[in-house]
Amino acid sequence: MKNKVTSRQKSEFIWGWLFILPTMIGLIVLNIYPMVDTVRQSFYKTGDFGKGNIFVGLKNYEKVLGDTEVWQALWNTIKYAIVEVPLSVVIALLLAVLLNRKLKGRGLFRTILFLPMVVAPAAIAMVWKWLYNSNFGLINNLFHIKVNWISDPNIAIFSIAVIGIWSVIGYNMVLFLAGLQEVPRDYYEAASLDGANWWQQLINITIPLISPTIFFVLVTRIIAALQVFDLIYMMIDLNNPAWKKTESLVFLFYKYSFEQSKKGYGATVIVVLLVLILLITVVQMIGQKKWVHYE
Amino acid sequence: MKKKIVAILLSAFTAFSLIACGGADTAAPADQAAAPAAEPAPAPAAEEAAPAAEEAAPAAEEAAPESIGSSVEGELNVTIWDEGQRPGLQQIVDEWSAQSGVKATIQVVDWNNYWTLLEAGATGGELPDVFWMHSNVAQKYMENDLLMDLTDKIASSDKIDLNNYYEGIVNLYKSNGKQYAVPKDIDTIALWYNKTIFDEMGVPYPDDTWTWDDFAANAKKLTNADHWGFAIAPGNNQEGYYNTIYSMGGYVISDDKKTSGMDDPNSIKAVKLFTDMIAEGSCPDLATVSETAPNELLQAGKTAMAINGSWMLAGYRDNEYTSKNCDVAVLPYTKDPSDRVSIYNGLGWAAAANTKNPDAAWSLIEYLGSKEAQLKQAELGVTMSAYKGTSDAWVKSVDCFDLNGHMQMLNAKLVFRPYSRDTTVWEDMMIEKLQDAWTGSKPVEDVCKDIAAEMNAALAEE
Repeated sequence: MKNKVTSRQKSEFIWGWLFILPTMIGLIVLNIYPMVDTVRQSFYKTGDFGKGNIFVGLKNYEKVLGDTEVWQALWNTIKYAIVEVPLSVVIALLLAVLLNRKLKGRGLFRTILFLPMVVAPAAIAMVWKWLYNSNFGLINNLFHIKVNWISDPNIAIFSIAVIGIWSVIGYNMVLFLAGLQEVPRDYYEAASLDGANWWQQLINITIPLISPTIFFVLVTRIIAALQVFDLIYMMIDLNNPAWKKTESLVFLFYKYSFEQSKKGYGATVIVVLLVLILLITVVQMIGQKKWVHYE
Repeated sequence: MKKKIVAILLSAFTAFSLIACGGADTAAPADQAAAPAAEPAPAPAAEEAAPAAEEAAPAAEEAAPESIGSSVEGELNVTIWDEGQRPGLQQIVDEWSAQSGVKATIQVVDWNNYWTLLEAGATGGELPDVFWMHSNVAQKYMENDLLMDLTDKIASSDKIDLNNYYEGIVNLYKSNGKQYAVPKDIDTIALWYNKTIFDEMGVPYPDDTWTWDDFAANAKKLTNADHWGFAIAPGNNQEGYYNTIYSMGGYVISDDKKTSGMDDPNSIKAVKLFTDMIAEGSCPDLATVSETAPNELLQAGKTAMAINGSWMLAGYRDNEYTSKNCDVAVLPYTKDPSDRVSIYNGLGWAAAANTKNPDAAWSLIEYLGSKEAQLKQAELGVTMSAYKGTSDAWVKSVDCFDLNGHMQMLNAKLVFRPYSRDTTVWEDMMIEKLQDAWTGSKPVEDVCKDIAAEMNAALAEE
C-alpha cells in the first residue's frame, strides 16, 4: 500500500520537479556552486587569472586569525549591525503601527517612507556624502557645527549606519504592515473595553501577535547588516582617515579578491563571515522559542 | 502549528539563501561595483594611480556597464576607462574605420571597474579586442600570454618604429624580449595655480626658479581664512610625494624591484615637506582632502595651488572657474634645475591574444600608434602623445591655459612611475599607512620605515 505509486502520483512528481527546476538551476549556478567554490578556494593560494592555484591547506585560516585588519573589520561590521538592526526594526515597527491606523494621507506617508528602498544605493551614498561633507555639507552649515561625519574614525561607521537605517526603514515597515493586517480587530476592541491604553495594546497585543514577522525581519536584517558593503564602498576611500575604522568584512574581501587579486585569501575572509552568520542565525533560531508566538 | 512550520521553514530558507549569497559574493560585488558609475567617476584621472573617488567628471551620464565588451567577429570592440578622452579617440578611430571598412566602437568603463572586469574577462577568455594597458598590471597580463604578441608585426610595419616613443613606456610593455603594446600617451606632472588668489595675496606667479622650499614658503603666504596655499592628494602618489621623493634624491623602489626606498632619508624628507605644510595649516588636513579632492578645491577657488597630471586638462578646461582663473607652471626643483622631476607614466594600446579579429586589431593599433594619429590625439587635446615631438600640437589645443608648464616638464628629469608586478598591493598599503603621517599622529620617519618593511615583504612574495 505504502510503496504503491499511482500514475497520478508519478505525474505529479515529474511536474513538481519540472516546475521548481528553473529556480533550482538558478540557485545551483548562481548561489550554491559559487559558494562551494569559494570555500574550496579558501584552501588555495590562487594564481593569476584562475591558473596555477596552489593548495596550502589551512594556511590562509592561520593568517586570518593572526591578521589584525580582519579582526578590526569584524569589529567594524559588528558595530554597524548593532546600531543599524535594532534602530531600523524599532523605528519601522512604530511607523507601521502608526500608519496602520486611519490617517489622512496614509498612502502618501507610506510611499515617502518606502522611497529610499527604491533609490539606487550609489545615488543614496552620493547625496549623503555631500550632506555629511564637513566643510561644505548641508548638515554642518545648517547647524553651524564642525563635525567630520565621515572622516572622524570614531563616528564615521555610525554616520554610515544612519544611512543604512534610513534606507531600510521603508522595507521593514512594509513587512510589519503586512503582519499587522493579520491581527484580528476584536483583540483591540476587547482591550479598549478593559481600559488598555495605546502603549499597553502595543506591548501586549501587537508585538506578541506579529512576533513571527519581527523574527523574520530580525534574522534577515542581521544577515544583511553583516554583509554591508556598498554604502561603505561609496562613502569611504583609501585616503580617508576613518578608513581602518569603517572597513567591513565584505569590503576587506572585495579588497583582497578584486583589488589585489588574492582570491584565496579573500575567500577565507568571506568564509569566516559565513561561519559567523551561521552561528548567529542558529542562536536566533534556538532563542526564538522563548519569544516568538505562533497561533 | 502548520503556520509555525511554514514560518520556520520560510525563515530557515531565507537565512540559508542569504548566507549562500554571502558566500557567493564572488559574483555580487561585480554588479554592485557597476553601480559606482553613477558617482562622479574618476574619469579625467587617466593614469591615476589610486583613483580619488570624487573627480568631477562627465562619466556620470554613462549607463552603468555590466560587463566589459568581448570580441565579436567582423567588428572591433575597444575598451578604455576615461570618458573625457572618448569623443576625441572615437574621431580618430572613425578615421581608421573609413580606411579599413571595419566598424569599431569605444566602450568606457570607469577606472575601478575596468580592472575588475578586465580580470574577469581575462579569466573567462573574453577580453575586448583592443584596450588600454597600464603599468600597475602590465607585467601580469604579459606573463600570462593574455596580450597579443606584437613583436613581429612591429618589425614588419612601416608606420611604427619604437624609437619614436619615450623609452620608459616602450620598455614597460616589453616582457622576455617581446613587445605587447604600442605606446599611446605620456603624461607629465605640473603645478596648477589660481592666478586670482596669487594676485589677491600679492605673490608672484610660480615660475621655473622656484625650489620646493620656495613652494612651501609661498604656500604659507597664500593661506588665509578663505583658502589654503596648497592641497595635496594623499591617495595619489604620482600627483604628489613621488615627485618630491625623486627630486630630493630618494627612491620608492629599487631598480631590480626587490627593495623599497621609502626608508631612505631623502624619501622621508620628501614626505616631510608636505606633512610640515599640513601641520602649519598651509595645506588642508587629511579629513578635508579626503572628503573634497584637491582638484575640486582648486575648481572652487579654495586652494591656490595643486599638483596635477596633464590628464586633468579636459576637466579644468571644461570648468568655467578654472578656465578663467587658473594656469599651470613647471614643478619646483630641489637644489638645481637639473633635479626637477616629473613622474611619468604612459598607457599602451594592447590587443587580446585570443581576439577573433587579429588582423583588424593590429591594423587599428598600428594606426593609433602612427605619427598621424598620435599628432591628431595631441591636436584634439585628448592627451599628450607618446610619439616624440608631437606635444607642440597639444600645447596649442587650448587657449585658456599656457600648457608650456606641462610641456617643459618633458625636459625635466623624467622618472617612470614606480611599479612592480603587483603594484597595487604595496601602493594601497602605503596610502593607508601614510595617513598617520598626514594627520601627524606618528612621526614621518616611523611611518616610512614601517612602510619600507611591509613593502619589502610584499615584494619578496611577488
